[in-house]
Amino acid sequence: MKLALLLNAVDPLIGGVLIRGQKGTCKSTAARALGRLLPPLRVVADCPYGCDPADTDSLCTGCAARYRSGLPLPVADRLVPVVTLPLNATEEMIVGGLDLEHALRTGARRLQPGLLARANRGVLYIDEVNLLDDRLVDLVLSVAAEGVNRIEREGVSSWHPARFILVGTMNPEEGALRPHFADRFGLCVQLHGEDDPELRAEVMERREAFDRDPIGFAAAFQAQESDLAARIVAAQQALDKVALTAPVLRLITDLCLDHHVAGHRADLAIRRAARALSALQVSPSVQAEQVIQVALLGLNHRRRRPVPGNPPPHTDAGAHDRLDQDGASQRLSRELMGDQELDGESAAAETTVLDRSTPQPGSGTHEQLFAVDDPFPVRPIVQPRDRLIRQGSGRRFRTLTRRTGHPITTIRDRTGRDVALDATIREAAPYQVHRPHRPGMAITIRGHDIHTRVRERRIGNLLVFIIDASSSMGVQARMRAVKGAILSLLLDAYQKRDQVALVSFRDRGAQVLLWPTSSVELAARHLQNLPTGGHTPLSHGLVESYRLIRAHLMRYPSARPIAILITDGRANVPINPGVYAHQEAPSIASKIADEKRVHWIVVDTEAGDMYFGLAAELARRLGAEHLEIADLKAEDLIHLAQHCETID
Amino acid sequence: MQSPTIYPFVAIVRQDEMKLALILNIINPLISGVLIRGDKGTGKSTAVRALAAILPEIDVVENCPFQLPPGSNHAICQVCGPCPDPVRVIRRKVRVIELPVGATEDRVVGSMDLETAIKEGERRFEPGILAAAHRGILYVDEVNLLDDHVVDLLLDAAAMGTNTVEREGISISHPSRFTLVGTMNPEEGELRPQLLDRFGLYVRITGIPDPMARVEVMERRAAFEQDAAAFVQRWEPESHALQAQIQSAIQRHPLVRIERTHTVGIARRCIEAGVDGHRADIITYKAATALAAWRGRNQVADEDVETAISLALPHRLRRLPFDEIDRLP
Repeated sequence: MKLALLLNAVDPLIGGVLIRGQKGTCKSTAARALGRLLPPLRVVADCPYGCDPADTDSLCTGCAARYRSGLPLPVADRLVPVVTLPLNATEEMIVGGLDLEHALRTGARRLQPGLLARANRGVLYIDEVNLLDDRLVDLVLSVAAEGVNRIEREGVSSWHPARFILVGTMNPEEGALRPHFADRFGLCVQLHGEDDPELRAEVMERREAFDRDPIGFAAAFQAQESDLAARIVAAQQALDKVALTAPVLRLITDLCLDHHVAGHRADLAIRRAARALSALQVSPSVQAEQVIQVALLGLNHRRRRPVPGNPPPHTDAGAHDRLDQDGASQRLSRELMGDQELDGESAAAETTVLDRSTPQPGSGTHEQLFAVDDPFPVRPIVQPRDRLIRQGSGRRFRTLTRRTGHPITTIRDRTGRDVALDATIREAAPYQVHRPHRPGMAITIRGHDIHTRVRERRIGNLLVFIIDASSSMGVQARMRAVKGAILSLLLDAYQKRDQVALVSFRDRGAQVLLWPTSSVELAARHLQNLPTGGHTPLSHGLVESYRLIRAHLMRYPSARPIAILITDGRANVPINPGVYAHQEAPSIASKIADEKRVHWIVVDTEAGDMYFGLAAELARRLGAEHLEIADLKAEDLIHLAQHCETID
Repeated sequence: MQSPTIYPFVAIVRQDEMKLALILNIINPLISGVLIRGDKGTGKSTAVRALAAILPEIDVVENCPFQLPPGSNHAICQVCGPCPDPVRVIRRKVRVIELPVGATEDRVVGSMDLETAIKEGERRFEPGILAAAHRGILYVDEVNLLDDHVVDLLLDAAAMGTNTVEREGISISHPSRFTLVGTMNPEEGELRPQLLDRFGLYVRITGIPDPMARVEVMERRAAFEQDAAAFVQRWEPESHALQAQIQSAIQRHPLVRIERTHTVGIARRCIEAGVDGHRADIITYKAATALAAWRGRNQVADEDVETAISLALPHRLRRLPFDEIDRLP
């Protein structure tokens, strides 16, 4: 990590660092210390954007005008700004907005520079970057790509240069970063805690020393720090002289191809990083060794699985430690199954049915208990966004809310609920010079100035899992795969803060295993202990789950639950005696489909030599999406990346 | 306004582990908090609220919205404007600030001051809960029910010890270092691991199984409800004794030494347990020294390390979202 930050200090064009790591591995500590190491900048003294007086081509409008008219630009040296972008930031604070005081005094509209202006030529630091609101992410992305911030809001129209090193930290447990955003970071480091007890003890002692006497502690390391700063300056000057030979360039492109990266950003980042490293090591040209050292930094967050159909790559270095998301979920499954499968993967791969077939009293049929397959990243399950105002909390889908939630923007609206005071005053400000004032009041606000906030928050959803646990599901250990799939969906539900409910049906009836709860842990435990065996009372399962969903809808009429039915559709126990079960279930399904608020998904587990298409028929009747287990898996990252690029 | 009488901390029956964890946090605020996880009606909230009475005193500039000590020169002071001259310093108890579960974003981080905006046409920052909680205790009841985006804000502030506000035309950053005390009832769902890790220590409490102790609980409660003032007065001597004991532990704390073998021992235990990152080590270290001070020693002993580990490690073993906290070795 220190290396990645240093390389960026030497060559800011590398494009920033994304620091991924567990809790408490001093991600934030290191990122914040970076600013102190960078050599001071030469800036135009009174420029809000910190323009470089030597680089006359990329001056801001103000400085450019002065430069053209021949006025001298006052020069000053300044520490490199490290600007923190907090999660609570609002749009106009990031890009800039109307200068209120100026507008009040003169009635003229002037830009009040935002965060991005301050970060120009410095470091923009985002803690917990994966929790940042999507809208803000888009803003930062587009500016980072262009190097220019254009402002068109609140009657202000302006632009200014905004080039910065993007430093972000994230904990992958809290959800992934959009691939498009991740790609913007030049390098990516993966942090782990130290394993050596002696070193860990050192960490504790240093920390304690720092807490007791921060100033003395900093002074003790002053010499080392200024030494490092001097090396950075030297490296910066040597940077242009470092030679890159053709074989080295070839090596970089080969590495990138082998790891199936999208686009060319990885190549560029590695090239620049290798050059910066050579400069730091005072070596006249880049050697293979430096490329290898930095390659992982550039590839960490861009590596993908090979595209299906392509021949497998000849180097297999990245295959087993691909993206961390995979690693995390595999670790999770192992953790979760810890008491059953102690041997981890090797045992899981070979044994199909665990010897846990404990016949339960009361049911005469043979029962089996299946383990759970490894979970995988699931593809997004969402419902279309609508304009209903809802209450709730979670991350599954976005909705407009009242009063609570993150304010996203403001609109002109006189109803006066949830007034956006700042926007209202800014609206009124330019007219104050002309409006009469009441004594004691500095601002006169007219009705048409009033703006209200539009807030948005993501709310979770109810996911109802309806699981066919009949013996037909035991064939070829299908249940293992099913459990793996459900666990994956549960993991996803955890990250999106959904509520979950479980219904299972087997033998003679259906059973609600879990009423709607936000405790995903409980659901996982129930899933683990779910036995398989007996007949297939599909009708019972449908009716029981429908009852549960109805009850939920009575309490939360605006909810849009998602019901996931996992079955092969081979019903053989009817509710009404004398009716054929395989005819009853589809007709019940058609009736249930009348409730349009529920989004149905049928996961078809039908397999074997004979394909009846029963589950497909069921899905048609329910108006459901018809999927197979494999369809649930997240599409390859390449699709996601391409998708994002078309949005741009 | 007369604040309601608070049930005395010393009058709480048993639940020694919880009391100890809270006291350690008073001795060394850098332990950064405690999570109390337990069933309904086990005195979680009572204990935290009762803390207010036994907390030590700190020097604060009078009327300082950011609870700064005298002589501090933080960047915020330039925004806030000069303090009235001469600066009046008051000595007051460390505060317990409660964060209600329904708190909105602007109340938590602070927002634009409405009155000055309209009357004087100036933007002024009105500090929120995170400013009030600086150098104090931030108490979140039912922390697992907290709104997701408020949790994000808390994490953000706790990570930096600073609250950075960029909203409504206000761009400000002020110190916000607090001891985070949370209570939760696991039936309502678990906490995100990231937030869990921010709590220094962890205590699990259950109802007391001993009938005699339960009778004691009922009787004391009844006595308190009948005549709160008299009840508090009856416990006054013990409260004072506890306060004095805490005070002497605070003074002793900087003198406590820890041997290298102990630090390496802590590190080894943390590696064996497979915790994420280094926060567990650091917290255990701090808790062990605080414990030694509390027990009147100048040298950390084996038992201090053991107790510290039992308080600092359990919730960090739950590395993944679905693991249960109490499935411990």
